[in-house]
Amino acid sequence: MLRTRVIPCLLLRNRGLVKTIGFRQPKYVGDPINSVKIFNEKEVDELVLLDIAASRMDALPDEDLLADIVSEAFMPIAYGGGIGSLDQARRLARLGIEKIIVNSAALRDSAIVSAIADQLGTSSTVVSIDVSRDWLGRARVFDAVAGRRLSLDPVEHARAMAARGAGEIFLNSVERDGAGRGLDLALIEAVSAAVPVPVIACGGAASLAHLREGANAGAAAIAAGSMFVYMGPHRAVMINYPDYGALERLFA
Amino acid sequence: MKAPRRCTFCLMDETAPNIVFDAAGQCTFCRNFQATLAAMPTAEDRDARRRDLVREVREAGRGKRYDCIVGVSGGADSSYSLWLAVNEGLRPLAVHLDNGWNSELASHNIATLVSRLNVDLMTHVIDWEENRDMQRSFFAADVIDIELLMDSAMLATNFRAARRFGVKYILSGSNQATEGIIMPAGWNHSKYDAVNARAIHRRHGQVPIRTHPLYSTTQFLMDRYVRRIHWVSFLDYFDYDKASAMAFLKDELGYKPYPYKHYESVFTRFYQGCILPAKFGVDKRKLHLSALIVSGQMSRDEALALLEQDPYPDPLQKRDDRYFVLKKLGFSEAEFDTYMARPPVPHSAYPSELGRLEKLSRARKALRGVIGR
Repeated sequence: MLRTRVIPCLLLRNRGLVKTIGFRQPKYVGDPINSVKIFNEKEVDELVLLDIAASRMDALPDEDLLADIVSEAFMPIAYGGGIGSLDQARRLARLGIEKIIVNSAALRDSAIVSAIADQLGTSSTVVSIDVSRDWLGRARVFDAVAGRRLSLDPVEHARAMAARGAGEIFLNSVERDGAGRGLDLALIEAVSAAVPVPVIACGGAASLAHLREGANAGAAAIAAGSMFVYMGPHRAVMINYPDYGALERLFA
Repeated sequence: MKAPRRCTFCLMDETAPNIVFDAAGQCTFCRNFQATLAAMPTAEDRDARRRDLVREVREAGRGKRYDCIVGVSGGADSSYSLWLAVNEGLRPLAVHLDNGWNSELASHNIATLVSRLNVDLMTHVIDWEENRDMQRSFFAADVIDIELLMDSAMLATNFRAARRFGVKYILSGSNQATEGIIMPAGWNHSKYDAVNARAIHRRHGQVPIRTHPLYSTTQFLMDRYVRRIHWVSFLDYFDYDKASAMAFLKDELGYKPYPYKHYESVFTRFYQGCILPAKFGVDKRKLHLSALIVSGQMSRDEALALLEQDPYPDPLQKRDDRYFVLKKLGFSEAEFDTYMARPPVPHSAYPSELGRLEKLSRARKALRGVIGR
């Protein structure tokens, strides 16, 4: 097991995989079943799947598709998107989803976090926090369903969610999504110093050096999308993942 | 049932409908290939032609970001072509079509190759819901060439990239040495028949097709004769020996070999290893192995021993592939069994633009007669 986990983060939309830039312009990058199969054969340790349309369209998770995806994967899968109730979380856990990620539901009512943590355990309960910086550069929680920045401070929100029973915080940066210019290190430092649980940092990683910076800033895991689905100046869609040896040396 | 008669020189047999044997029992397929090989240029000639080609490619690409397109599938032929292009000092753009069936090996090989060779890559990803519906419609029609969809899209993607970057040469990994036996009639269908593919889908499909690329004969004629884009069988300009090419790719470029030709896609593997032999009575290994025999790269005994093995060397893989293919295409076990039991239907049961072309050329001839040219 690597000291810092490196997790491909795949975005689902209408049964297809997409990649966004700044949470916008979703570009089709392939069929989720095949892509997960390839990551599985690459012996990736874990995978994050986020349905970016479900909550916005007020739709439920696509359980048929998730069941098909889970059957292609030997590694644990964390899933988020459209989970609004404990019952829903339990159904997904039964399908074989290892970790339940909630985001907008926890913004509306944090009771869902404690409910899931009580039922499925804190290690299966992940709260995802999207962060956007305002014109003064202040980090604020972003509500992707409403499409706007809230006045909520992500550090405070993360602390509250950990207190409610979140076993991990998935921290995603809106402006850095798909930009490839590195992670928001100040944000990672602030949040990981404030919470007793592991932080998965996402948004902006494009190179091994970026991954190490994130680890040094305190992230227990780095998640990345573009880095593992795109290659080169034409953003060619080609699934790739660093050698295990290269990652071991990186975090040694 | 009597076993089909087999050629005494290669592995082709009467499963090829248009096979003819001579008095010595040798078939027309390997005879024709021998004749082609005999007419091939000498090594010196070939090297001179290669120098000419490379010079032309460079000239045509002067001032452009790339001077040639190399289509890559992750297989050995196309991977080696890309290396050869770089080694000849060309500036290729690698182009890949992803139809949703890439294996991990294919992704690994392409990613590793373009990184090590420092070549730019461009991909087109076919929308899976569309591709699935197209493929399902070919199943429903019981026509043989389900791979036509992929091959046609691959052609379309390569030519599109050439147009976009103003590139005049597409270097292909197709070659005489391993592909020199001509495809028997009825074992496939023209990859340039977009009309046929659309007609089959119109009759049996459910999902409207908005983005799936198909390459038509008309488009090809425009690209070839108006835009002057050349499709070159690049490997024929070299002394191409598959085994040593494979060893080189493996040792020097981090390539992971496949157990058998064209097995870079799970679907192709299942199609060639199960659907074609069991439903259509076609075993394409006969073509590839026969070509290797004729070009002196393998003995007939060795090839025959390979052919007698199951197309799936590993029965577990066959089971896994079947499960995966059915799941991805959305067929139940029963639906698939029914499909396999139904008799094949020829592509000619549907409209085709090949006939249209013949009419066009007849019309042109008639016109020539009229205007006296």
